[in-house]
Amino acid sequence: MSRTIAENSMVVLLQGLQGQVTTVDLKNESTARGRVVNVDAFMNIRLDNVLYRDRRGQLTQLQDLFITGRNVRYVHIPDNVDIMKTIQSQLARIHRVRNFASHGGGRKEFATKTK
Amino acid sequence: MEERERKSLNPDNKDTTAAGCSSAPSVPEREPEARSKTGVVDADKTDVCSDNFDPLLALYSPAVTLPFPNVKCFNNVSAYESFLKGGRGRAKPENVEKKRLKAMKGVADPERIERLKKLMVNNPVSGTEEGESSGTPQRRERGRHKPQKNVLTRMPLCKGSPLGELYRCVEERIRVKVHIRTFKGLRGVCTGFVVAFDKFWNMAMVDVDETYREPLLGEAFYHEKALTISRLFEKLNLQESSEGDEPPKKHEAQETASKHQAAHCTGKGGHSRTESKLSDTVRPKQDKHKVSLKAQGPEVCQKKDSQMYGKVHTRHINQLFIRGENVILVNPQPL
Repeated sequence: MSRTIAENSMVVLLQGLQGQVTTVDLKNESTARGRVVNVDAFMNIRLDNVLYRDRRGQLTQLQDLFITGRNVRYVHIPDNVDIMKTIQSQLARIHRVRNFASHGGGRKEFATKTK
Repeated sequence: MEERERKSLNPDNKDTTAAGCSSAPSVPEREPEARSKTGVVDADKTDVCSDNFDPLLALYSPAVTLPFPNVKCFNNVSAYESFLKGGRGRAKPENVEKKRLKAMKGVADPERIERLKKLMVNNPVSGTEEGESSGTPQRRERGRHKPQKNVLTRMPLCKGSPLGELYRCVEERIRVKVHIRTFKGLRGVCTGFVVAFDKFWNMAMVDVDETYREPLLGEAFYHEKALTISRLFEKLNLQESSEGDEPPKKHEAQETASKHQAAHCTGKGGHSRTESKLSDTVRPKQDKHKVSLKAQGPEVCQKKDSQMYGKVHTRHINQLFIRGENVILVNPQPL
């Protein structure tokens, strides 16, 4: 389910940023810079080692930060990340997981291939 | 089906049995047999299938032999009536059809598959249908799943829609301006190249120049006019033009820019005029713009008072992901 959402939207790109240090701009004009731990299909983002800058410019060091998807405005993508390659590798990963499911790991009624 | 229905006559309920009898006065061999065996009128009267069946007598008689011992029992007459009209469990023609379809479900119907295949737009099978039909199910399965859809394959699929235009910008590498909203009104504009997008207008852009107004805080928020594109860029031009007068470093320049504006503000009577003159030097335009600038005058003043709120910033971002929710409009730039 969430795999399908991710696969069909740009969330895959963000999921491909896992482990990178990025800046996330929030809707309330604050920014958070930290290492991406996890991004789910609803674009909720978990960051690690965060430097949080609120709208007045005050800086706060946070151990861990969870950002609700709806609060995201921008996500800065590091320069060393190739957007297209990231998306493709991420899609391939989803595809692999799905294939595994159909080869015996998953529930039979959802098996897609007859091979 | 008819037979089962007949079997289910109610032995205990006289009306029911009577109705059943009249509706189906059958079993002819039973009748003469009963008559010949007993010859007694009583027996004839208690025989359900006979013509002179007496329901009252049958009800009170201790031993009534039934032609069909294991019939379905109904609680009352109306239950039987609704059964006859095609209630629950009754074999109505449409029910029969439904049951048949249910039984057929899951079983591949080669005829139907062929029919569907013919309806396909780019038909892979046209002539050799007999040869195909043996390997049909597998082929069909593969065909349905082969074009795996994902973000990238979906991008070209929106031809003829606004998203299709966006895809054209991706393909032809057209620089676009993306207007970004804040929770109330415009926030700024991102200019750059779209690399990928999805149906939510989430976008990945490269080489982005973002022009945005600094967020307003406190009281200023309530007094500041709603931002428009022209206002945004006029402000920017204002800042830049004053920056052009004295070319120190960027931050200082902005600082001086605001000072500059402040200077304009101090000249109470003439500030709007000087500013409009300034804008004339920047880009000569119609009176409308002057008016809008005049309207901006007091704002600028106030901005200085409250620590230059609402100042316009520009920044460059190499690669940026924009959540679609924030997109107001996308404006392709034919360059």
